[in-house]
Amino acid sequence: MLPNKTSLAPPGIAGELPAQRLRTTRPSAAALSVLALAAGLYLILPLVLERHAVDLLVFCGLYAIAGAGVGFLLGQGGIVNLGQAAFYGIGGYASAYCSARLGWPTPAGIAIGIALSLAIAALIGRPILRLSGYFLALATLALGIICTNIYFEADFITGGTLGVPGVPKLAIGGFVFDTPEKFYYLVWPIAFATILAMHNLMGSRVGLALQAMRDAPDAAMVMAIDNARLKLWIFMLSSGLGALSGSLFAHYVGFVNVDSFGVDKSIMFLLVPVIGGASVPAGAIIGALFIGLVPELLSALGDIHRVLFGLALVASVVFFPDGLWGLGRSLTGLVRRRSGAAARGETTP
Amino acid sequence: MLFTQALLAGVTNGFVYALVGLGIAVIFKGSHVINAMQGELAVVGAATAVFAAAIWGLPLWLAVVAGALTGMAIAILVELGPIRALFARRAREESFLLLTVGLGFTFSAGVLYLFGREEHLLPALGDEVYEIFGAIIREHALWVIAISAVLILALRLFYRHTHLGLSMMAASIDPDGAATTGINVRAMRTATFALGGLLAALAGLLVAPLIGVGYQMGPLLTLKGFAAAILGGLSNPLGALVGGLVIGILEAMSIVFVSSGMKDAVALTLLIVIMIFVPDGILGRAGRKGG
Repeated sequence: MLPNKTSLAPPGIAGELPAQRLRTTRPSAAALSVLALAAGLYLILPLVLERHAVDLLVFCGLYAIAGAGVGFLLGQGGIVNLGQAAFYGIGGYASAYCSARLGWPTPAGIAIGIALSLAIAALIGRPILRLSGYFLALATLALGIICTNIYFEADFITGGTLGVPGVPKLAIGGFVFDTPEKFYYLVWPIAFATILAMHNLMGSRVGLALQAMRDAPDAAMVMAIDNARLKLWIFMLSSGLGALSGSLFAHYVGFVNVDSFGVDKSIMFLLVPVIGGASVPAGAIIGALFIGLVPELLSALGDIHRVLFGLALVASVVFFPDGLWGLGRSLTGLVRRRSGAAARGETTP
Repeated sequence: MLFTQALLAGVTNGFVYALVGLGIAVIFKGSHVINAMQGELAVVGAATAVFAAAIWGLPLWLAVVAGALTGMAIAILVELGPIRALFARRAREESFLLLTVGLGFTFSAGVLYLFGREEHLLPALGDEVYEIFGAIIREHALWVIAISAVLILALRLFYRHTHLGLSMMAASIDPDGAATTGINVRAMRTATFALGGLLAALAGLLVAPLIGVGYQMGPLLTLKGFAAAILGGLSNPLGALVGGLVIGILEAMSIVFVSSGMKDAVALTLLIVIMIFVPDGILGRAGRKGG
């Protein structure tokens, strides 16, 4: 078997554009078949799984959407966002208020939630993103707690602790997403499209600018990259996704209250990329599946599952800096090197 | 009347925030790590004392010592384990933050698992009630103020005049130079965490008789302590005290003039504003030099 040609090619052959070298090489046949298998599995899962499992997978999809935003901030911008639940809440309450209280069509509520979220992110992002590192992270945490406070107090919109009951099911053009199965086929394509879009964004000029900003901010500035604006853009992207996820959550569950938008949710959304891996957008899928399913498996053990979950995060930070994605990649790398060595061993005694 | 009452409550809370902030500042000075689980350490310390007294029937003073030592021991273990591992890997700031946030989550879950959802109260140091300008203040609140003030003063003397304190500063400001003069830089970092953990637990123990300590209050305590610390400039103990008082009093005023539900929002908005506009604290830049 011939070794993979691309991996042997010396980096930076003359005439090759750096942008092309930065992008991942054309997917191999093995990768494509794995992808096809995963797609097939995705499509048939609701047919074989019981309803409770499909329900869990819907939540995983919601976490993937909101977590992908946080992951993009973390992986591409080096920004720790501990306030995503604030935007998740904006989406959730906008949808609940518009559809349950005002009786507007459901897509209108979602659109308003996202627009409001983007506007608030733009407004708050300007000053907050001047901070960096610890200070920025703690500012986002503070932002999350402030918003929880406001949700609690603004009970004429949010219903306070009682919440907003009776949020109608999502309906687009007469089609009502009223079962977990239907919602499953809505949420995950949104998550996949989000991640694909992010992947493409990373390969674009904006993505390269982001990389420059993250790794060498001063040099990036010299190259006429507007760091402040870039950060604001990805912050807005992240909050828009948070609002979208929150809106879908409200329509899916049919009820929202303050408990759904607390600090623990923000931490959970941050865990999605941390556990899954923040270097690639697809890490959010792995992380969301982990976060949606593992606590469920652990909950058989009783209340201790929260402790185990926290320890999983700690272990992930200490031992797998790039999450499960990084772990998987270093494992496949190991296997490939082993098999490569074996192949060479056969040909050259 | 209401005003004076709120002011007194604000001052008491301010001292508690100052202690939490002091712990954060001590750890930051000694290791350049922001310890985002400071509030959880306070909760763990207080909860341990409550249960040492209630379940094992220890006398109160012994239970309090046990609580303080637990906070200290946890901080030491955290430094020896994961923090060292991250330093060895030369991890970036965000990894340290994620680590301490994760540990905080774990400890708060641990408190929930072991001690339950309810708020835990310690017996107060004194049950008298005094009247000052028409407002009443509990004797324990006066003890909180007095003990915090003594601790802050002691910490200042410790860093200025003891061999260990000076070594800890030296190890942080110039690790290579400190190592040359025979200071064990790693051990100093552990000592820094020990001191921070002790301060956190003491803050929790002091506040537990007044408001009760629950598993979920960690992040808020951390944030307010952090606000106090950076308002004072993250370096000198007096700064954290000034910062804590400002935040405590402002919070109390927002209860009087805005609404009691918005007090955290007001304090945290202030935190964000401070970080953006006065990142070196109200006492100025000089204080921040040297870590």
